[in-house]
Amino acid sequence: MRDIRRYERALDSPYDILYYADNMAKGEYLGEFEHVVLLTLLRLGDGTHGALIRMEIESVTSRSPAIGAVHATLARLERKGLITSWIGEPTKERGGKAKRHFKVEAAGVDALKQSRATLERLHAGLSFQKRLA
Amino acid sequence: MTPPFLARAIVAAAAPPLDYESVAGDLEEEYAGRVESAGRAHADRWYWSQALRSVPALLAYTRVRPSLVLDALTAALVVVLLVAMLFVAEFMCNALFSVYPHASGARSWPFFVAGWADAAFFGALLTVIVRSRGLRLTVIASLALVAAIAVPIFLGYSSPLSAGTWLLLLGAVPAMSAGTALVQVLRRR
Repeated sequence: MRDIRRYERALDSPYDILYYADNMAKGEYLGEFEHVVLLTLLRLGDGTHGALIRMEIESVTSRSPAIGAVHATLARLERKGLITSWIGEPTKERGGKAKRHFKVEAAGVDALKQSRATLERLHAGLSFQKRLA
Repeated sequence: MTPPFLARAIVAAAAPPLDYESVAGDLEEEYAGRVESAGRAHADRWYWSQALRSVPALLAYTRVRPSLVLDALTAALVVVLLVAMLFVAEFMCNALFSVYPHASGARSWPFFVAGWADAAFFGALLTVIVRSRGLRLTVIASLALVAAIAVPIFLGYSSPLSAGTWLLLLGAVPAMSAGTALVQVLRRR
């Protein structure tokens, strides 16, 4: 019991950051916004680009993410091997700038499935009604 | 119909070089749609909001693939440029001392102008040499310079600086960033 209390105290210390860095930085878990972006990319289909992803997130979640945050998240997902991207042709309506197209890889679909299964296990048997009462 | 110049310049300055076209192009595409559906004023406000809110995220990531050798070479180049920047600043300050031997308080402004111009020049030079890293590298390099001077002082290994020298040192961060931003904006006009 004393050991458990000691570990609980240790996990409340400022050095938690080392614990979290060790456990969270391996790309095993999806962050909340990573989850949103990956699901949106899956909804829109392969070959979609940042502007459409941003607009879809805004219309579905009523959040208006900054385009920089969307691209930073897409770059992080690509580094984790969950999506891939390629540069398309420049177009006139974009001021002659090229699009970066994105595609969800099998690892991305697996990560979403795993994430959903984890959340379903955590939700199982919970009654929000009881908690609110 | 083009978005506001200054807001576009902010995006051009902050976006990672390998992702600039896709970020700026996405913004321009959506801006054009908003001009048609809601009018120019609304679209301008939206673009400003997107540009300003995107800066932290744009500085936080890079599309350069991690490579130990390239990262080590970049770090070595940064150290060389920062040392050269300090030497040039020292040289310019000595030259200014001969012209303004009793400069103090507000009258020492030429030293600040020279120091920050030196920092802006080296910030620009860093971006010209390392094309793929952009403003993110300059911000990291300038903060590393401040830390390399400030940490030994706080630990008591180095003698304290005057308020003016602190101002000069801390001003090097925005000055170097301004040099880099200018190069990025000119490159992406």
